[in-house]
Amino acid sequence: MWTLKRFPFIWLLPAILPVALVTLYPVGHALWTSLHRVMLLFPGEPFVGLDNFVRVVTSNYFIVALENSATFTVVAAPIAVALGVALALFLQRRFLGRGIVRSIVLLPWVLPGAISAVLWTWVFHPSFGLLNGILLELGILERSVSFLASPGLAFLSVLVAHVWTQVPFAVVLTMAALAGINTETMEAAELDCRSSWKRFRYVVLPEIKAMIVVLLIYNALMAFTSYDVVYAMTGGGPGTATTLLAFQIWREGFSMYDFGAGAAVAFIVVLISALLIVAITRALPSDLFGER
Amino acid sequence: MSGRRSAFNYVIALLVLLFTGGPIFLAFYGSIVPDRVLLDPEVSVFDVGPNFEGYRYIFTGELPASYSEGRANRRMISDAARQVPASLWNSMRIALASMILNLVLGAPAAFMFARYAFPAKRLSFMFLILSPLVPAVALLVPIYMTMQAFGLVGSIWGIVLVHTARSLPFTVLILSVFFRRLPSELFEAATLDHCNNFQSFMRIAVPLALPSIGATGLFAFMLSYSEYMFSLVLSGEARSRTVSVVMAALARNTDVSWSLLNAGIFIAIIPTLIIVVVIWRVVVEGLLRGAVKG
Repeated sequence: MWTLKRFPFIWLLPAILPVALVTLYPVGHALWTSLHRVMLLFPGEPFVGLDNFVRVVTSNYFIVALENSATFTVVAAPIAVALGVALALFLQRRFLGRGIVRSIVLLPWVLPGAISAVLWTWVFHPSFGLLNGILLELGILERSVSFLASPGLAFLSVLVAHVWTQVPFAVVLTMAALAGINTETMEAAELDCRSSWKRFRYVVLPEIKAMIVVLLIYNALMAFTSYDVVYAMTGGGPGTATTLLAFQIWREGFSMYDFGAGAAVAFIVVLISALLIVAITRALPSDLFGER
Repeated sequence: MSGRRSAFNYVIALLVLLFTGGPIFLAFYGSIVPDRVLLDPEVSVFDVGPNFEGYRYIFTGELPASYSEGRANRRMISDAARQVPASLWNSMRIALASMILNLVLGAPAAFMFARYAFPAKRLSFMFLILSPLVPAVALLVPIYMTMQAFGLVGSIWGIVLVHTARSLPFTVLILSVFFRRLPSELFEAATLDHCNNFQSFMRIAVPLALPSIGATGLFAFMLSYSEYMFSLVLSGEARSRTVSVVMAALARNTDVSWSLLNAGIFIAIIPTLIIVVVIWRVVVEGLLRGAVKG
């Protein structure tokens, strides 16, 4: 690691400036909004202090949405990463038709959230859904179940759909990390170590650990802040069963025109996400931030 | 490799195919089956044969025969379906521009973060990593107002700018992981040979990390292609709408015919699928072979 005396502006500003343009100013704007009463129908934008925050935290949906989002994140992120790593390891094996499988695996990734949502709505559809069809055919079910209309099943269904959209990214990055492993290292490991589990645990895993941390952070954030698939599938329902905190920002701001409350929920989401990042990087130390 | 092991491989491969490709196959099936067959458990597609009326309507505007009859439900046909081909072209241009900008702007920064220590390194890196945390919904209104001030609402360049800025942190983060893995002996040798920072970046880091750069660019492409919220508010009228916006409009319309919706979905999938497969094959698989040796 070389040391430079001055901040390398020419190298870094092209990346930092656009990001600052779409982050710092809007965040400032949102902070201002969260401290004022900004509603489309009321003239004037008086300063109300923390009123918006208090109103949001004490409203009856908040705890439910927070719980839903927390469960969603804690379940979806590790499953997506684990599936992605497992798939990437599997695709390292040689078998006929591997190229096709490798391409198909990427499919969910190329689809916009709205399309994925429609596809999965179809899988779970009560009258002509694929899942009902299979379960009825196998005799596991007697009548078709409307998966998206009962609270527990609806949550599970949107979870499956969300994980489905997130797995390919984990596969691609894990494969890239796997390809970066020195072939001599792997050959030596094959000679020294008969058990493929031990080979994975002591040779492969340390090499791809930094990537796994990146993936976990990314997936936790995606699960916590994205809502398009869930919204398009259930609209937050039935009742509040799939209402997520990120969805609530959108609802406060755009369907109720209460931008102050929307900005307040946004700040709470940002705060929790920051805690998530710190927690994950602490729990899984890697050389990602280290100075070595 | 024993027979049992390879049989096991195929079972897993089949499960993977079903899980990832199944819903998409369903979309294709739905697009060639008229709604009345879909909803009737007694009739299957093998009785009536495939039907490409949904596709014909999207490309030519010719109404499917079943909807021109007397008591047919005309509301099941949506004008949004006709916008699919143009929106696809918009999405492609936007995603490609965003991908190129991401790599050009992000790679030098990633190289700096991976290889050098400098004042305010931690601060600037943390800023980049933490910025995507801000949920897009919270940024929507201020960004819309800024873009309007620049006169960029309704043009694809406003969307390109926002997509680029939103995916740059990921590009920098991922690329810096890759650059960090390159053996430092190479860079020491380059310094001894009087390469300056820029030369070691262009002549050593970029060529060696090319597959990773390709994969990262692919990621930026996909982020842009599937992004919905900013595309929606920044596209304005129909001219610069992206495919995600048009598809969402189709999907939210509860009256729309399933076969038309599925035809739209399938059309939206094909071109990207081709691009992904090509990029995957050429960039990732081809260059991975012996390119990066840690």
